[in-house]
Amino acid sequence: MKDYILWIESEEKYRNRLLLKCFKSKIPVLETKTEGKNFYLKIYEKDYAKIKKFWFVKIRKSGVTGVLLWKEKIKLHRVFLLAILLGLILLYFLSHIMVSVEVIHSNKEIRDLVRLTLKEKGLKENTWRKSYQEIEKIKEEVLSEYPDKLEWLEIEVHGMNYVVRIEERKIEEKEEPKTSCNVIATKDAIVKEMVFDKGESVVKINDSVKKGDLLISGTIKKDNEIKDIVCASGKVYGEVWYQITASVPLEYTEKTRTGKKRWNLRWQNLYFDDFIFRSRLKTYEEEKKEILNLLNQHLYFVTQYETKEEKKFLSEEEAKNKAIEEAINKLNSTLEEKEHIIEQKVLKNEVNNSTMNVEVFVVVLESIGETQEFQENQIE
Amino acid sequence: MHLYKTIKSFLFDKDYFIDVWAKCIHVFGFIDIGVLEEKEILLIFENFKLKISGFDFRVLKLTKNEILIEGELESMSVIR
Repeated sequence: MKDYILWIESEEKYRNRLLLKCFKSKIPVLETKTEGKNFYLKIYEKDYAKIKKFWFVKIRKSGVTGVLLWKEKIKLHRVFLLAILLGLILLYFLSHIMVSVEVIHSNKEIRDLVRLTLKEKGLKENTWRKSYQEIEKIKEEVLSEYPDKLEWLEIEVHGMNYVVRIEERKIEEKEEPKTSCNVIATKDAIVKEMVFDKGESVVKINDSVKKGDLLISGTIKKDNEIKDIVCASGKVYGEVWYQITASVPLEYTEKTRTGKKRWNLRWQNLYFDDFIFRSRLKTYEEEKKEILNLLNQHLYFVTQYETKEEKKFLSEEEAKNKAIEEAINKLNSTLEEKEHIIEQKVLKNEVNNSTMNVEVFVVVLESIGETQEFQENQIE
Repeated sequence: MHLYKTIKSFLFDKDYFIDVWAKCIHVFGFIDIGVLEEKEILLIFENFKLKISGFDFRVLKLTKNEILIEGELESMSVIR
């Protein structure tokens, strides 16, 4: 066994007596030195126990040298070294674990297809990170598996996440041009505007038309003789009348913040989603900010604002205006560009069971034409 | 070990030796220490005793039959 060497400290006045005792006890003294009132002996570590028993002298283990010194240092800082070691292991572990696979594409079908294929090939969440070569191989395999659906695929490693970007392959199907079609009315209306590229106009401005009536014909006639058959195209705008009803309760509840707020932490994962501390507010609105996202574990810092609910009442006039506004907004949301409301008129308003019911008559300028194909043998 | 001892005794066949330098005295082969003081050191050999006199004697190294002393040597005598 290797003998480790250590320095022991004693007092100068015991020097000779200690040396003699060492000699008698067969303890080899490798080196001596004196510093002030202290006397130092260099001995083998195995002799330390013997020298410690000398009753006449106070001995302190002053220091070790060589391998023992490192052994002592490691022993002294073992917690720190262990923490560093664990930290390094954890860092290595975390930097090689992938917690999510995010597939970026607008088409859900394509996203699901790619996600499933990647999963089959072992590229999934909570697995060891694949090497660059493995990722390249998977990419090639997926692309060759779906040559008609995928144009391009890229797998990026962002921290602990895979980000998969896809370009869908679009095989353009050439639409065969329609050869014979008419533009017909989709609604009852009064024709107000008409723009057409092909075909022959059947109606005039201010003509009243019913749903299904012919507006622009694809059959070009001259002197009651068919000269040509085309696919009629154009836009026809007509005045359409609507009667809309809307209801607004006179009594409503309004939520307001009291100004009181509390902070909390929310822990969220696949199986758990709750606050860490008990919430002291009865009714509140919350704003949350993510502070930790690790291995699908989310920790949020939440600010809860206390709210109170107040019952409020609308006057009949206010309720009526609100109902009209709601009705108009509802209609407006269905209109397209260039389409707009020309006129509006309240037909009826009445309060029934604390609810304001309004009936509004609205005149709208909107597109009323629709292309419809026909067979040549259908021509009258 | 036997071979080692044989070679050692062949190459190094002295029972003892005493080296004196300007500030140091090196002694090998003693069996005991009689006196160990700043002004006097008495080393006991098998057939004689070695008395070293001087001042400021300090032991630098000490093993079972070897000693290295630092100090001002005044006299050295063999007592039989």
